[in-house]
Amino acid sequence: MTMNDTMKDLKAINAKYLMFHAMTDDTDAGDAKFLFSTKDNLTSNDMETCAGSRILEGYRPAFDADCIAKLRKAGGKLVGKCNMDEFGFGTFSTNSGFEIPRNPFDLERACGGSSGGSACAASVIEDHVSLGVSTGGSISCPASFCGVYGLTPTYGRVSRFGLIDYGNSLDKIGVISQKATDLKKYMTVIAGKDERDPTSMVQPEFRTAYRKMKSVAVPKEGIEGLSKEVEATFKKALEQLIAMGVDVDYVDMPSLKYAMPAYYVLATSEASTNLARYVGMRYGHQEGDHSLKFDDYFTSVRSKYFGDEAKRRILLGTFTRMAGFGGRHYAKAREVRQVIIKDYKSILETHDAVLAPTMPFTAPRFDEISKMSALDSYKADYLTVPANIAGIPHMSVPCGYDSNGMPVGMQFVADHWNEDILFSIAEDWEKQFDLRRPEVSI
Amino acid sequence: MDVKTVKDVAKFAHIELTDEELEKYCKDLSDIMEYFELLNEAPECNERGVNPILVEDILRDDIPKVEYDSDALLRDMDTYERYVRGPRLS
Repeated sequence: MTMNDTMKDLKAINAKYLMFHAMTDDTDAGDAKFLFSTKDNLTSNDMETCAGSRILEGYRPAFDADCIAKLRKAGGKLVGKCNMDEFGFGTFSTNSGFEIPRNPFDLERACGGSSGGSACAASVIEDHVSLGVSTGGSISCPASFCGVYGLTPTYGRVSRFGLIDYGNSLDKIGVISQKATDLKKYMTVIAGKDERDPTSMVQPEFRTAYRKMKSVAVPKEGIEGLSKEVEATFKKALEQLIAMGVDVDYVDMPSLKYAMPAYYVLATSEASTNLARYVGMRYGHQEGDHSLKFDDYFTSVRSKYFGDEAKRRILLGTFTRMAGFGGRHYAKAREVRQVIIKDYKSILETHDAVLAPTMPFTAPRFDEISKMSALDSYKADYLTVPANIAGIPHMSVPCGYDSNGMPVGMQFVADHWNEDILFSIAEDWEKQFDLRRPEVSI
Repeated sequence: MDVKTVKDVAKFAHIELTDEELEKYCKDLSDIMEYFELLNEAPECNERGVNPILVEDILRDDIPKVEYDSDALLRDMDTYERYVRGPRLS
């Protein structure tokens, strides 16, 4: 299939899977070298950018995010902005003010979140790369549910200039694709220092040379609470890794269980301050009643356009930042982050990576998700949150399929700045893994 | 979390809640805060870095420049004579 064939089919593919919120009207690729899409929380100067929120409806940024500008400069054509949970607040891409993407392997199931549209696009469009953004697992989770490879690099590796912030101490831009080799190829384009994002300025050289992965550590706490099918598929994957010459050891990592509450304290605290800027002026909807006093005006616009989960996280984050009861948790959450970093680094002194399934179950059906409480949904992130709170690079790799044909993913976690060893194991794995492509009939 | 606390937090965050929302968030936030109590058991650490990596020596000189066309920035804003319109202050 040529790029022009893909361009011609794009609208029909989107009508079926709903991966794009905004997309190009072009039906040919022009002189593009490759097609790409991005999560809709990255600003693009030629497409509306809403980050899944109705409060930003109509927002047309005047500039490209740094990563989008770099991909365009490398010959990429941006074809769509991908549906996502509002501001990244979710595990299934169902907390959106707009379209909810459908899983490529079963339209009645979710793509995972919050970069669900991006993983969907990477799965259903041939030769496609999509940028995702992870705060607590938003690249790994949808990559796992959609059966594709997803890399979340080290915090600070990719400039966040042009990213609509969720949690500043957590947000990371990464890459999702059907091909492991694409992750290195496109990360090489978007990684690097950018003085407009100070956290990108401390990064060491981005290494890409092959470095064989010799050993992994599987935390016992990372294989608790799994569905039977995920557990069985993961065990088979471990046997395969051993056959590939990788030593597998089981280790204890008791601090993992504190990552989830610590993450939600930090993430919602930061989110509640970041979302304070959306008040019905400058961005998106601005049609409030100007005769109201400013407090009432801001409140009216925010109450009308923020979705359910955005309101929940703003309330939670505002409370945790308050002095007293909430503030105590915030201080402790920052300590827990350091404990988790130390624990990872200690294990990674003697192992190349820490490995566990990416998600405890495969993509759930929409009717199952609608029955989950907010806390149930937060708890589903317990395997992806630890690496995210520690800011260390991780990659979800497809490792098998359950009895319904839904993909299972495993997640390799390496030390800060060691993306190279993740690329290497993914490429070795890809050579022997029988990746299933979804049947894309339009 | 009791109803009064959630109401106070919502007011502070500029969110107006219906009675139905108030009841729902009260229950959700209570469940979540109860779960967060797990943090009390977590090991202590005398470090509390803001970022997961060390970010230092990154200060640079400010260099004034115009990167964007101001008309483009104002394009979709509600304006009056190139001022952004907003609610009254008092």
